[in-house]
Amino acid sequence: MNIVDIVYNPWFSGIVGLILIGIVFVCAILAVWLERKFGADIQSRIGPNRVGGRYGILQGIADAIKLFTKEDLIPAKADRLLFVIAPIIVLGSGFMMIVAIPFGAIVIGDNVYPIAATQMDISIIYLEAVSALSVIGIFMAAYGSNNKYSMIAAFRNMARMIGYEVPLGVCILGVAVMAQSLDIVEIAKAQSPLWFVFLQPLGFVIFFIAILADMGRLPFDQNEAEEELVAGWGTEYSGLRWGLGLFGEYIHMVLGACIMVLLYLGGWNLPKFLTGIFVLGSLMPIFWFVGKVIVIVLIIIMLRWALPRFRIDQVVDLGWKVLFPLSVLNLIWAVALSLAFDMFFGA
Amino acid sequence: MSIIGSYIPVVIFLIVALAVPPVLMFIVYQLSPRSKAADKLTTYECGSVPIGDAKIQFNIEYYLYAIAFIIFDIEILFMYPWAMVYIGHGITEIAVVAMLLFFIVSVVIGDLYMWKKGAFKWVK
Repeated sequence: MNIVDIVYNPWFSGIVGLILIGIVFVCAILAVWLERKFGADIQSRIGPNRVGGRYGILQGIADAIKLFTKEDLIPAKADRLLFVIAPIIVLGSGFMMIVAIPFGAIVIGDNVYPIAATQMDISIIYLEAVSALSVIGIFMAAYGSNNKYSMIAAFRNMARMIGYEVPLGVCILGVAVMAQSLDIVEIAKAQSPLWFVFLQPLGFVIFFIAILADMGRLPFDQNEAEEELVAGWGTEYSGLRWGLGLFGEYIHMVLGACIMVLLYLGGWNLPKFLTGIFVLGSLMPIFWFVGKVIVIVLIIIMLRWALPRFRIDQVVDLGWKVLFPLSVLNLIWAVALSLAFDMFFGA
Repeated sequence: MSIIGSYIPVVIFLIVALAVPPVLMFIVYQLSPRSKAADKLTTYECGSVPIGDAKIQFNIEYYLYAIAFIIFDIEILFMYPWAMVYIGHGITEIAVVAMLLFFIVSVVIGDLYMWKKGAFKWVK
């Protein structure tokens, strides 16, 4: 039994893979800090600047400690069971996504060892399915807390999910057609010479918009529109219970950026002369992947402070009347392109 | 990794995901203060006394969108197996294109039909 067999033993990789949850949690805390600091810079404010030096980088940890010392409130009119379970589902959906996502890879010679807790043959469908679970969690939170603002937010959230899940699915289909696989690792490997963003620019744009809507980021955060809906689905939540839901959403943002990099922006692939360097070359794909994810997260955060919010009916119309037909067009383009590749370069 | 084996980590993560929030809430119960004020348990409605219940029936403007979503989502899901086999499994190009067209045309016609019939209209 050599080391690769041990590392890829499902029990071993499943238990050691739990470290990834910790790493993603830290990333989510950093994303909260980044959002506040970056937003402050854009709006000429100061932002967090006390905890952890001049840039307030430990602000997130201070906030987390504060959440632990807050009283846990469940409103008298709330449905206690739904109210308690809902944040677990929102957070759990994020956890279940972490299993299947490879966070970079170690490349030794011609062998690629993705850093993932598991490698399924249908991981992209699995990711779609578990990421959609959070919508159910949000609806449970709203229905359970028995608050009018929460209910309106949850209905809007449903409408948005309904509008954007279909274009998202068709875009992923376009990628799967080109890579000839539903395994996200294989899809990332298939982009070794050329990123899919260059082959399907239209698909990338649609996917980017749809995943923004899926994550509930501006301009698609109608469910948390603070000017009209107080705090959206989390109005009745306080303390750590609210914190769990919030972290669930930020985890979704970080993981959404990861999926975008894996599907369209070439994943961890580097040219061979770079990965050939001893030791450093084997680790370089991880930094390359993480670097791209950070850039995408920064763009997503920047969009929040740059764009105004749409009205909910405009959002749903955009999904059904623009993105869906265009995504079908992109699918036809992807099939035609891959058939042409197959005809000219195939066996 | 075998197919069953690749789902063992999923089960492990699921158990952790279900176990972490209760543990965290237990810590909160040990650390947090309690107050006895009764008003803290009322539903939030901008500070005024809440009127009625939130679980009322009201018009969901996107009901037809939701029905369309169920149809289209399943239809798209059926295309995933097709996408995996259409190259290199001895299927000729004409058959591939015919199958693609069958799916695409039914999806697009469905979309256009609902659009024309006014299903994609936000009912006020």
